[in-house]
Amino acid sequence: MKKCLIILACIIAPIVQAVASEQCRDEVFLRRAYLTVTGALPSPQESAKFLDDNRPDKREKLINRLLNRELALQYTLMHWGDILRIKSEFPSNLWPNGVQAYNRWIYEKLMNNVPYDQMVRELLLSTGSNFRDPAANFYRGFQERSPENFYANINLLFLGNRNCADNGYLCFSQIKFKSTKEWKEEIIYIDYRKELPWQQIKLADGTILQPDYNTDWREAYVNWLTSPENRRFAEVMVNRMWFWVFGRGIVHEPDDWREDNQPSDPALLKELTDYFIKSKYNMKALMKKILMSEQFNSKMAPEGTYQPQRLPAEVIVDAIASSTGRWNKYSSRVPEPFTFYPPQTRATHLGDATVSSTELELFGKVSRDVSLESQRSNALTSRQLLYLMNSSALEQRIRKSPALKKICEQYTTVEQVADAITLRVLSRRATPQEVELYNKHKADNSLSMNELAYDIMWIQINSNEFLYNH
Amino acid sequence: MRKIYLTLILLFAISFAAEAQRAKSVILIYLDGGPAQTDTFDPKPQAGRNYHGNYKGVAKTNVEGIEIGEKLPLLATMADKYTLIRSMTHGSNAHETGHYAMITGDTSKGAVVYPSFGAVISYMLRDKYKGILPRYISVTSANSRFNEGGFLGNEYKSFDTGGRPESKMYEVDGVVNRFVNRERMDSRMAMLAEFEKGQMDKQLIDSLRGVNMEFIWGESRELFNLANEPDSVRTRYGKSRLGQSCLVARKLVEAGVPFVNVRTTGWDTHKKHFQKMNSMLTNLDKALSALLADLDKRGLLDSTIVLCGGEFGRTPKVLWEAPWNGGRAHYGKTFSYLVAGGGFHGGKVVGKTDKTGENVVERPVRPCDLIGTVYLLMGIDPYGTLPHVSEGDLPILPSLIKNDQSGGLLYEIIDIKKPDYEKK
Repeated sequence: MKKCLIILACIIAPIVQAVASEQCRDEVFLRRAYLTVTGALPSPQESAKFLDDNRPDKREKLINRLLNRELALQYTLMHWGDILRIKSEFPSNLWPNGVQAYNRWIYEKLMNNVPYDQMVRELLLSTGSNFRDPAANFYRGFQERSPENFYANINLLFLGNRNCADNGYLCFSQIKFKSTKEWKEEIIYIDYRKELPWQQIKLADGTILQPDYNTDWREAYVNWLTSPENRRFAEVMVNRMWFWVFGRGIVHEPDDWREDNQPSDPALLKELTDYFIKSKYNMKALMKKILMSEQFNSKMAPEGTYQPQRLPAEVIVDAIASSTGRWNKYSSRVPEPFTFYPPQTRATHLGDATVSSTELELFGKVSRDVSLESQRSNALTSRQLLYLMNSSALEQRIRKSPALKKICEQYTTVEQVADAITLRVLSRRATPQEVELYNKHKADNSLSMNELAYDIMWIQINSNEFLYNH
Repeated sequence: MRKIYLTLILLFAISFAAEAQRAKSVILIYLDGGPAQTDTFDPKPQAGRNYHGNYKGVAKTNVEGIEIGEKLPLLATMADKYTLIRSMTHGSNAHETGHYAMITGDTSKGAVVYPSFGAVISYMLRDKYKGILPRYISVTSANSRFNEGGFLGNEYKSFDTGGRPESKMYEVDGVVNRFVNRERMDSRMAMLAEFEKGQMDKQLIDSLRGVNMEFIWGESRELFNLANEPDSVRTRYGKSRLGQSCLVARKLVEAGVPFVNVRTTGWDTHKKHFQKMNSMLTNLDKALSALLADLDKRGLLDSTIVLCGGEFGRTPKVLWEAPWNGGRAHYGKTFSYLVAGGGFHGGKVVGKTDKTGENVVERPVRPCDLIGTVYLLMGIDPYGTLPHVSEGDLPILPSLIKNDQSGGLLYEIIDIKKPDYEKK
């Protein structure tokens, strides 16, 4: 019996391996890696270079390059901004100065690849002015400033716990706010004179915290939270990053950890968590490990395991801008004084949920009201397609596209034009069947090369190949 | 036993409300920036020049004892059609908080962001409404200072038409596109279908595109075509953005759209207040009077609630000093709303402010009272709940059950009787 099983295993194992190692094509990997790590499409030059590269380790080289790019830092910052609710106006009301300082603070942590535990420590133990001590914005961005509310948010963010029932919030009961003469400036400070709580502080796992009088009681909590023995702390971040990459957590929703919501692949979660703790909470290394995984290199389902995801709002809007070469100008007239962004600013780099546009709203830009990952909706709706199919706004972008103009000036055959457009929009080359299709469309409708170019770009931007990361 | 009793009362109250429901649609004319109540619906001609500023006179209305601002002569001829709420108050002088209060009715300062009442109505009617037009439309764009879909999510946000209804061609986003005719669109769609062959699963995207083709080329296209309206009608509404937007709103309501938000900006008149108000009030007077008359003539006023107001009012006292040089600042302590149709009585005034208009002296009306009454008229239980993704069911209007945030629903100007359980 045992022998049979072994033989069976010997037969199955190679099959499983063969299926699992069935990797996606290079052009698919290129686009997927760029969109996942940087939220941006590769430039036509970058695409061509990667596709023509024959070295065996070119995927790893690409990942290394991408992880160190400014675009990748900014895109990771956007993920953080979403869950930390970075926003000038209602309900966080951080104000533009606070938003700017807070973003910069996180950006620098990411740039220096500060370990996750340390970053969380600094965030949760922050005090001072919201303009001068940026991390203090963590406590300022609440409509309801109560220890219970701070604590509920900390539980959600770092433990994935939506319903905390313990009294750990007492550790946050010394937090006080005072305003200064500066407009919208506030000082967050710790009231050391507050008497120790008469209740015992007992956390859900049974840990008893005993802060001393005349200390910052948050420290006792944060020490417990970030210690390597508290595996949940590492697990939640590992799972969150997995969610950022695949759009689905190993535990899903990524901020809803409870007894009856078990991980879909416990072994995978364990392996990644062990790695993360061992690496001393190295976030960049964790990201690289996920990107080099079989799952990320797999073909799209059902042939492989990779599930296609509709691109996030900011990424779609940026991809349309980079494809056409016509960028949005972002500004905000609220609150005063007005905010103006430099030309060619990417939507993924806005950093403030108060700044938006009709397109961003349409595709579901996160409003940053709550710290739940589920507030971002990447569902495809008929209104979004209405915009893509028939809006003057998009049509004008295509018709006035400097990129298309240049392509039509530079090339003379349908094949060349199609190739150049496809490289821009879909990061691959046009297939012979597609070229034939375009030729037919041109002849049937007696279109000029310019008009054909508009139609090619229109169908590509409307295609699900463009709208999804696949 | 007590529980059964309570349930019975509730059932009775709901069925009663449903029976009394007259309103099918809401038009919100939102004066974004905060209009001066003393220059519109609550004039104070006796308060002296430091208060009434350049508007010394008043317009006497066709209802005995009701006067409105002198720049609103057309509206003055039809005060029997609407009621003025002169005691609106929420106390906030900040735009973002004011908007949030007046558009959601929530002043509880809780941790969750409530949806706008347009989104709530859109949510409540999600199964009942069968039209191809969106349930909640903004002409031309919704307020963007907070997340209008709130915790209900993006699905319930308004459809913003964009475009300029006052121009020669009203290009509604995604519907009217001057570059592409039907033939070109069809040829593109055919090429797209061919291009996508053998790619990813297309079921969802194809069905959504099908709905859109119907929306773009079907009846709704005509609806947005103002060029078909007689010029006399367009002139009556006024050729301003606001005027033509109101005309669009009338057509949308006629087609069955449950909530139309006509948002007009420019009311934040810190400086050059009176110069700006001269033209803005004339535009408002034309637009709103034409809308009310038109709805009435077509028999739609009975089933259409019309609301007009902003996020707050403005200081009754004129700021003559530099740098304002005759401006008015934000004022959330007292302001006015006009309500009409859909079951709201006409020819009445609710509440009262003092001699200068700076304080409410009678019957304070809070944001949740106004919005709760609109819900009631639309057949929605103002004490009902809405689902929140992580918090469970939350009250639809949390402020309504808090004494310091509610002055009570506006039973005095609707036909629905106050249920016994509400009389404390």
